[in-house]
Amino acid sequence: MQMMQNRRRFLATLSAAGAAGLTTTSSSLGQEPRPETTAVRLSKVNGTCIAPQYVAEEFLRLEGFVDIKYVSTDAGVGQSRAIAHNEVDFSLNFAAPLVIPIDAGEPITILAGVHSGCFELFGNDRVRGIADLRGKSVGVQGLGGSPHVFLAAMAAHVGLDPLKDINWITDQSITPKELFAQGKIDAFLGFPPEPQEMRARKIGRVIVNSAIDRPWSQYFCCMLAGNKEFIRKHPVATKRVLRAILKAAELCASEPARVAQRMVDAGFTPRYDYALQALKEIPYARWREYDPEDTIRYYALRLREIGMIKASPNKIIADSADWRFLNELRREMKG
Amino acid sequence: MTMRAAIAFAVAATAALMLSGPREARHDVSLNPPLSKIAPAPQFTLTSQDGKQIALADLQGKVVAVTFIFTLCSATCPVLTPMMSLVQDRLGPDFGTNVAFVSITIDPERDTPEMLKLYAQMHGADVPGWSFLTGDAAAIQDLTRRYGVYASKTADGDIEHSFLTSVIDRHGIIRVQYLGVRFDPEEFRRDLLSLLRER
Repeated sequence: MQMMQNRRRFLATLSAAGAAGLTTTSSSLGQEPRPETTAVRLSKVNGTCIAPQYVAEEFLRLEGFVDIKYVSTDAGVGQSRAIAHNEVDFSLNFAAPLVIPIDAGEPITILAGVHSGCFELFGNDRVRGIADLRGKSVGVQGLGGSPHVFLAAMAAHVGLDPLKDINWITDQSITPKELFAQGKIDAFLGFPPEPQEMRARKIGRVIVNSAIDRPWSQYFCCMLAGNKEFIRKHPVATKRVLRAILKAAELCASEPARVAQRMVDAGFTPRYDYALQALKEIPYARWREYDPEDTIRYYALRLREIGMIKASPNKIIADSADWRFLNELRREMKG
Repeated sequence: MTMRAAIAFAVAATAALMLSGPREARHDVSLNPPLSKIAPAPQFTLTSQDGKQIALADLQGKVVAVTFIFTLCSATCPVLTPMMSLVQDRLGPDFGTNVAFVSITIDPERDTPEMLKLYAQMHGADVPGWSFLTGDAAAIQDLTRRYGVYASKTADGDIEHSFLTSVIDRHGIIRVQYLGVRFDPEEFRRDLLSLLRER
C-alpha cells in the first residue's frame, strides 16, 4: 500500500515536473494550449479610460505573446473600423460605437465587458438633467462618433428625439470641450481625461456621471472586441488576450498610481494627475459584476429606437457576441 | 411538497442566494458549479520562514492556496494577507490538516526567512499550515511567470505586481485563481472546502 502511494506520488510529481519543464520557455499555465499566434495588435487612442489595454503588455507576454503592437487609431467608431478592417486585432471600445458597425455588417466580435463609468455629461447653468438638452446646443466632434452615439442613446432614454430635439454642434477645428469652456455650447459628453480636466478647471457642472448614476453605471462602457476572423482562427490566443486584459484591469484598480505613471512614460497620455484621477474613479475591478449581454441589449435597443441601427438586439448578440472565452475565464478567475 | 416543506425550501434557497451574493446569483446557472480544471500547478521547492525546504509536492493530498506577496509591500499585500488569515481561522480544524496556504515572496533579496517569520507572526499565521517561502531570485521570477503573476522591480526599488491567488486541488491541479485582493473571503473558503469534498 505504501509502495502504491509512493509510486502514485512519484508519477504525479514526475508528470507535474515534466509539465513544468515544458513550460519554462513558454507562457504561464503552460498546460493550456499554446496561442496559435504570438503576435497581437491593439489600438491606441487619445482616451485614457482604456488603461487596461495600455498596461496589458506584460500580461500578454505572460500569455506567450512576443510581438505586441499598439496601432494609433481614431477613438470610438474609428477603433471599431480598425478592428473590422484588420488594422488591429483587438481593442477596448465603447459599447454603443461597437453596435453601429456591427449592425452594418462589419466583422467584429464582442468578447466581454471590462468596465463601466467612463463618460460624464457636462452642462452649463441651463442644463440640470438630460431632459434639459431639448433645444440646447450640444457639442460633438462629429456625428456618428462615440459622444454623439452615447448622447443620442441617453436622450432617447429620457424620451427625447435626438434628431429633432437637440441642436448638435460639430466643429472639426475645435474640440467640444473647448467650445464648452468658451461658453459657446450648452453641454458636451466628456471621456477621460476630459472630465478630470473640466473639474480641475472648475468649468460647468456634471449632469451625468456614468460611474455613479443609473442606469449608465449598471452597464459596461468599455468592452473588448476583436476581429471576427482573428478570433475564429485563434481561439486560444483570444482567450489569452482577454485574460491579459482582465488582469490588467485589476492592476488598474489596485495600483492606479503606478499605472498612471506607466501610461505617461509610455506616451499614452501626457498628464499624470488626470490619468491617476480617472484610474481612481473608474470601477476597473468589477468586470464580473455586470452582464455584457445586458449592455449590448440596452444600447442596441436605444439605438434602434432612434433609427441608428436596424437589427434587433437579439440579432446583434447572436451574430457578433461570443461569450465563450469570458464564461471560461469567469469560472477560472474570480475576484 | 407540503406547504411547510415549500416554505423551508424557499427560505433555504433565499439564504443560499444571499450567502452567495448577488453577483453569483445573477450570472451562474448553478450556485455551486464544480470548479474547472485549469492546469497542473507549476512545481517549486523553496525555503520556508523556518529555513526548511518546502516543495509543492510535499503538500499533495491537501488543498493548497498559493499566493505571491512581499513583506515590505505597503499597498495591497496588507489587504490580502489579513484576509487569508481570516479564512485560515474560519477553516477551523481543516486548516493545516487538509488545507494549506503558501505565500511566496516576490522580493527574495530582502525577504529572508527571518523577515518572513516576523511577517507570519505579525499576521497571526498558523505556520504549520501556512508557509512563507523565499528562494533564488531567478527561480521565483520564473515561478511568478508560470503562475501568471506579473512582478517587476521599479526604478525606486519597489515592486510592482499583480495579485493572483491560485487554488490547487489535492491532485496538484489549479482549479481557480482569485484575481486582486478584493475578493469575497467566504467564496474563497467555500471553494477550498468544495475541493476537499471532491473524491
